[in-house]
Amino acid sequence: MNLKIKKMKNIGPIKWNLLLPIMLFSIILCSCKKFIEVQSPVTSVNEGNVYNNDNTATSVLTALYAQMSNEAVGDFGITSLSKVAELSADNLALNDLTNIPLISFYRNNLNGTSSAPGFWSQLYQGVYQTNAAIEGLNTSTSLTPLVKRQLLGEAQFMRAFFYFYLVNLYGDIPLVLVTNYKGNAIMGRTDKSKVYEQIITDLKSAKNLLSQDYLDVTLLNKSTERIRPNRAAATALLARVYLFSGDFIQAEAQSSLLLNNDINYKLVDLDKVFLRNSKETIWSLQPVIINFNTWESRKFILPSTGPNTEFPLSLSKQLIASFDADDKRLNIWTGDVTADGVKFYYAYKYKAALNATSVSEYGMVLRLAEQYLVRAEARVYQNKLTGINSAASDLDAIRLRAGLLPTTASTKQDLLDAILKERQHELFTEWGHRWFDLKRTNKIDEVMSMVCPLKGGVWQSYKALYPIPQVEINRNPGMTGQQNPGYSN
Amino acid sequence: MNLNAFNLGMLRMWLPPKLLLIMKLIIIIMTTCLLQVSAATFAQKFTYAKKDATYSLVFKEIIKQTGYKILYSDQILDKTKTINVDFKGAELKEVMETLLKNQPLSYEIDETTILIKEKEPTFLDRLAKRWASIDANGRVVDSENRPLPGASVKVKKTGKGVSTDKDGRFFLRGVEEGAVLVISFIGYLPKEVSASANMGNVVLEQSLSKLDEVQVIAYGTTTQRLSTGNTFSVKASDIEKAPVGNPLLALAGRVPGLVITQSSGLPGSNVTVRIQGQNSISKGNDPFYVIDGVPFPSQNLSGVNGTIIQEGSPLGFINSQDIESIDVLKDADATAIYGSRAANGAILITTKKGKAGQTKVNMNVQTGIGQVSHKLDLMNTSQYLEMRREAIKNDGLIIPATPTLEYYDLTLYDQNRYTDWQKELIGNVAKYTDMQATISGGNENTQFSFGANYHKETTVFPGDFADKKGSVHLNITNVSANGKFKMHFMGNYLNDNNHLPGVDLTNTAIQLIPNAPILYDNEGKLNWELYNGISTWDNPLAYMARKYNKESNNLVSNIEVSYQIINGLQLKSGFGYNRLQNDDAYTNPQISISPNATYNGRSAAFGSTNVNTWLIEPQLTYQLKKSFGSLDFLLGSTFQKSRNKILLLGGSGYGSDVQLDDIRSASSISIDNSLQSIYNYNALFGRVNYNLKDRYLLNFTIRRDGSSRFGSENLFHNFFALAGAWVFSSEKWMEENLPSLSYGKIKLSYGITGSDQIGDYTFMNLYSPYTTDLPYGGGAALRPVGHSNPYLQWEETRKLNLGLDLGIFKDRLLFNLNYYLNRSGNQLLAQVLPIITGFSSITQNFDAKVQNTGIELNLKTVNIKSRNFSWSSNLNFTKNSNKLIRYDNLENSGYKDYYVIGEPIDIVKAYQYAGVNSQTGFYQFRKADGTITDSPVDPDDKFVLLNTSPKFYGGFSNTLNYKGFTIDFLFQFVKQIGQDPGKFGNPIPGYYSSSTATGNQPLGILDGWKQPNDLATIQKLTTDFGTGYFPYDFVRMSDFSYSDASFIRLKNLSVSWAIPKSIIGKTHLQSARIYFQGQNLLTFTRFQGLDPENQSDYRLPPLRVLTLGIQLVL
Repeated sequence: MNLKIKKMKNIGPIKWNLLLPIMLFSIILCSCKKFIEVQSPVTSVNEGNVYNNDNTATSVLTALYAQMSNEAVGDFGITSLSKVAELSADNLALNDLTNIPLISFYRNNLNGTSSAPGFWSQLYQGVYQTNAAIEGLNTSTSLTPLVKRQLLGEAQFMRAFFYFYLVNLYGDIPLVLVTNYKGNAIMGRTDKSKVYEQIITDLKSAKNLLSQDYLDVTLLNKSTERIRPNRAAATALLARVYLFSGDFIQAEAQSSLLLNNDINYKLVDLDKVFLRNSKETIWSLQPVIINFNTWESRKFILPSTGPNTEFPLSLSKQLIASFDADDKRLNIWTGDVTADGVKFYYAYKYKAALNATSVSEYGMVLRLAEQYLVRAEARVYQNKLTGINSAASDLDAIRLRAGLLPTTASTKQDLLDAILKERQHELFTEWGHRWFDLKRTNKIDEVMSMVCPLKGGVWQSYKALYPIPQVEINRNPGMTGQQNPGYSN
Repeated sequence: MNLNAFNLGMLRMWLPPKLLLIMKLIIIIMTTCLLQVSAATFAQKFTYAKKDATYSLVFKEIIKQTGYKILYSDQILDKTKTINVDFKGAELKEVMETLLKNQPLSYEIDETTILIKEKEPTFLDRLAKRWASIDANGRVVDSENRPLPGASVKVKKTGKGVSTDKDGRFFLRGVEEGAVLVISFIGYLPKEVSASANMGNVVLEQSLSKLDEVQVIAYGTTTQRLSTGNTFSVKASDIEKAPVGNPLLALAGRVPGLVITQSSGLPGSNVTVRIQGQNSISKGNDPFYVIDGVPFPSQNLSGVNGTIIQEGSPLGFINSQDIESIDVLKDADATAIYGSRAANGAILITTKKGKAGQTKVNMNVQTGIGQVSHKLDLMNTSQYLEMRREAIKNDGLIIPATPTLEYYDLTLYDQNRYTDWQKELIGNVAKYTDMQATISGGNENTQFSFGANYHKETTVFPGDFADKKGSVHLNITNVSANGKFKMHFMGNYLNDNNHLPGVDLTNTAIQLIPNAPILYDNEGKLNWELYNGISTWDNPLAYMARKYNKESNNLVSNIEVSYQIINGLQLKSGFGYNRLQNDDAYTNPQISISPNATYNGRSAAFGSTNVNTWLIEPQLTYQLKKSFGSLDFLLGSTFQKSRNKILLLGGSGYGSDVQLDDIRSASSISIDNSLQSIYNYNALFGRVNYNLKDRYLLNFTIRRDGSSRFGSENLFHNFFALAGAWVFSSEKWMEENLPSLSYGKIKLSYGITGSDQIGDYTFMNLYSPYTTDLPYGGGAALRPVGHSNPYLQWEETRKLNLGLDLGIFKDRLLFNLNYYLNRSGNQLLAQVLPIITGFSSITQNFDAKVQNTGIELNLKTVNIKSRNFSWSSNLNFTKNSNKLIRYDNLENSGYKDYYVIGEPIDIVKAYQYAGVNSQTGFYQFRKADGTITDSPVDPDDKFVLLNTSPKFYGGFSNTLNYKGFTIDFLFQFVKQIGQDPGKFGNPIPGYYSSSTATGNQPLGILDGWKQPNDLATIQKLTTDFGTGYFPYDFVRMSDFSYSDASFIRLKNLSVSWAIPKSIIGKTHLQSARIYFQGQNLLTFTRFQGLDPENQSDYRLPPLRVLTLGIQLVL
């Protein structure tokens, strides 16, 4: 029809006018998936690629050590056990009673909502990092075999290290070994003995994987820096763990491995023990804060004006009183100031002052002296009491260095008591040894019911275990109602 | 479209002229296409004779006799024109030819319709026309005979035009005599007149109705009359009245559904903006900001940590005087086209554009002062010392004879000295200066506006601190001669130098003991009040030596080009770019540290952050006008990329205080944060708007969005909204029955919007560098920062809005009512995890729903309008209620202690206060089982639920004009409860901290417990933190620490006087105005803290600002 033709005629040219821009437009419009997909940011890597490269994979483990070294003693990082657990026991006194977090530890007055969370979170975050590393390393195919082997060893060692402290602070705990959060989020507590089994499995495996030498950050070259765990570190921790779990034969065997290796490890003079890479060091942490040596030297040494809110800690009167007067450790490892006519003693194992231009001291984690005391105790239980290669000879090695006469103890019980006391004098303000020793030797009630009232608290047996942060129990259906006994819900 | 010639005229009476014109054009186009039918087929004969017959009469007769319809427009043929006719049985063709013989018209006949149109002019005709052209001139004035400079005068047919000069005069060369001229001016009803040589005054009538004011919406504009959505527009006239550094603050109390909270009285501080309540439980609740089409960040990236103004509001980097309007978009209809970004509403900022006309220079200077408006009632020296003595007695302690640390206040310091620390530390006067200059103008084709601004605000702290801003603003619009190609450029650049102290002294001012040492010693040095050579307090002025400097540069620019392909079809694209750069530095010199410190405490922190966003938005619009209504189509696409960079450096070990600003002088440098992140965003969107007779309106929007913030499994999603409105007042029966109702509309919208404010890369399991000053073993360290979740996706908000708009008495009374129901689901929550999983949470979409319902009411009235006096008012009122309506398995989630189904999401769970134990003197509480305890357990005993969000809020503003005087005032009102931070003292009453010399308390503390059997509300005074702190901590978390924080505030007052012409007549000034402005002038509240708005005792309250200004227009 006429009409139709007219229409075509008129619209024809318009159509092309329209079509071109519309076609152009349509091309632009195509929503492209490519455009909105982003790579991981250049400032970080992700789980998919971090374990594909020697350097980044190593960095994951390095971060664990750097964190431990960086966290201030007082932030409830793992290293602050040297302070906090000692406060709970009888080695330290708190001179600032407005310090709410510390006072709860000091007066053994913790509850699920107070400041205990620190250790629980820090240790489990560490566990996650090791689990993630173990999973990532196991699936990675592109790493240098030696590097992969060392890293796996370090990761397993560190997992055991974290669990050792978890189980000793809290008792039965969830044993998390994988990263899948869905299962982990509802995990209940695992029996202490199972945790110990896992620790031993990890340490045995780590001992096998780790290099005998200390390695540098490439993990391919030897290093004089004793700042990454090696086979000796795994052995030392294994010896301690066997002792704690009552396997005295193994405890003796493991510590002997180190004590017999006197080319690499031996006792040094008291004033040289904590110097960087001393022969006594089995594993230490390199300070990472500039102008700083260790947090211990920063926090324990009292200013000449005496304790204050910033430096609230001093060594307890009981500890000082228990030293023999001629114990060189009293002289060399403690210091004192007098303020307002009161004498305050402080831990002086680390001496490097603030603003030191060079780093002369490293934070000790594992050292040989402990191995003597581990073996001594293990030998008591095997009735190797006195004579050559006996409990007494190991104990005397430590006493000798402290300028003391050989022990006069000869019975099993006397020796155990002597070892416990020696451990207190040798290992005070180091990693909470005292607290753990009192617990595992079942002396805690006896000692604390005497000490706790002096600190202004009331002792009850249940307080030997720290409470699990209540908020963590609330968040985990698998742990409902599983707070440590004695602590209200 | 069944029109005949005769009701075309009638149509004209009620249709907007523009629409009518368009309709006519359509008729012509349609008929040109359809009706080229030979008239030879016509058989009808026509008989008619008459002298001086009007055309309309003749046409009527033709219609009567032949049954044909005749279509023509009044512009082509004056139907009152007369002709002598004498037809006898003439054929229709012959009749038409005779009739149109001497007219420049031709005709076409289609079956039963005759269309009369203009004749294609022949060459001769055109030549003749040249000769016939005239030069039209005249003057455009308003109804009061005042000239309207810059009004547009256009020849309707050719589009050729000019604009009027400063006297309103126009001169248009070479116009055909009698051609139709369209005269228009913003805010006035356009008028059509026929051209003649001397046209005299053309009077334009002002369009009074607010209903016809332009409202900016997403990708377009509308008017309140035709809007289907819930939007609210605040114009420059209101924004200009507020002497504020951040334009958002000018919105407080003005917009229904909008809550603005200023976190601090310091320039550049954070501003919280919530539209229709809080939608998201844990993620972003900020609206989507768009400045002239370019998305703008709602938050600054965080620079140096813990600064005095937090991150600061980036909107402070827009000069409020450059803003033409701020449009707040609330419902789904208005926001769904922004897809995943505007679930929390959108705020569109439109900057000022130039207007054609004489070049105009506008200068504006104002200066004034700012002050803290309310002080706390604190103890004086004797009251304080008495309190201390009582506390010491209560503890069984004895004040030592020689001064010791814990007793300096009682043993060392002057027992009679009194200092009002609030006056000393936060009582200064902040000076406020603002200067603006704008040049604008242009012609029909090109308009421009160029402005520059300088703004300075000092602080109320002692010391030399100020925020200085300078900005420039440029807007250029160009339209090609044929009107098809349009280009618009907007550029806005602002430089801000904010120099502030590193510490907010507000809290110190409240807590310093009244007999604390003097600030300066005799030598004018900081006084450390040495005792035995050791400093006994931290001189608060030392904190002032810590400096926080923030330099910000903000560039917003946009080019928009559009091309009209054919009539109604337009292709356009915006190209936007925004760069927001912040460089901040915090310096901590040794002099800010007590001389006791033996260590080198000098440190500095430097932050550098920037957000770069570019945007391309091609759009195609098509307008179709048919008999079944008009349709507007929009199809567009968005490509957006944002790149964020953060670099934070820390320096320590400086050799001297003067070197702190130079990071190279630090002996140790740490990299505290380094981040580069990318956000990519791509979308396809469309809108169809249907309008039938301005009476029935439908709007449909859709958007498909893709965002890089989401997991690989959920990259895309669709959003849509459907809205309809019915202008029932235009119905005949309405007009007849309710003539006083000048406007009435009901509207309904429903749609889905989303929010992707969850941060970048949340779905990935990233490993971040763990940095330490010294690398461990010389190597890098990396640690995981979260669990990965590839299923992460949008939060989704479904919005339903029902609205009623009424205009009564010729729109002198405008009433808007909106009811909304918004439900936000698919909530992105950190699913709380036990830390044994490695992290305390993982971000996940939850089937949790948050509901916000509310009513918004706005009433605008013109109370009096006479020649010399006018008074108009505006009242707005909002009631929002927020509720968590669904949360599956809440009982087993980590949020069970924070949220309650059926209650608001910002509910506070508190202990129930049960007074002070009359024996022990410590606070006690009621447990859930009714028993009384002094150590309530969290969360079990936190059973009191408190709703701290406003119950209702609004504003009431008035504008009064008398001759040249204008008075504006705005009252803001909020009904709410809030936590009064000082009610129980701070921290524990009776305790004195020697290092900071703090321990002063509010007067109310004096009425505390004194001895056994006392009934008191405040616990006994004690110096022992060990026993006193826990009850104090509990009571602060009890219901009793919350009180009425409602307030009515004279938010804004502005008085201005336009200097009469008689005074400025001889100058070159067009107008001049002197004004006074005030912000936060008066507050009526029962709240006892410093300020019921920010409810803080550690951040400076919003200041009372008074300014005086003058504005000159050249």
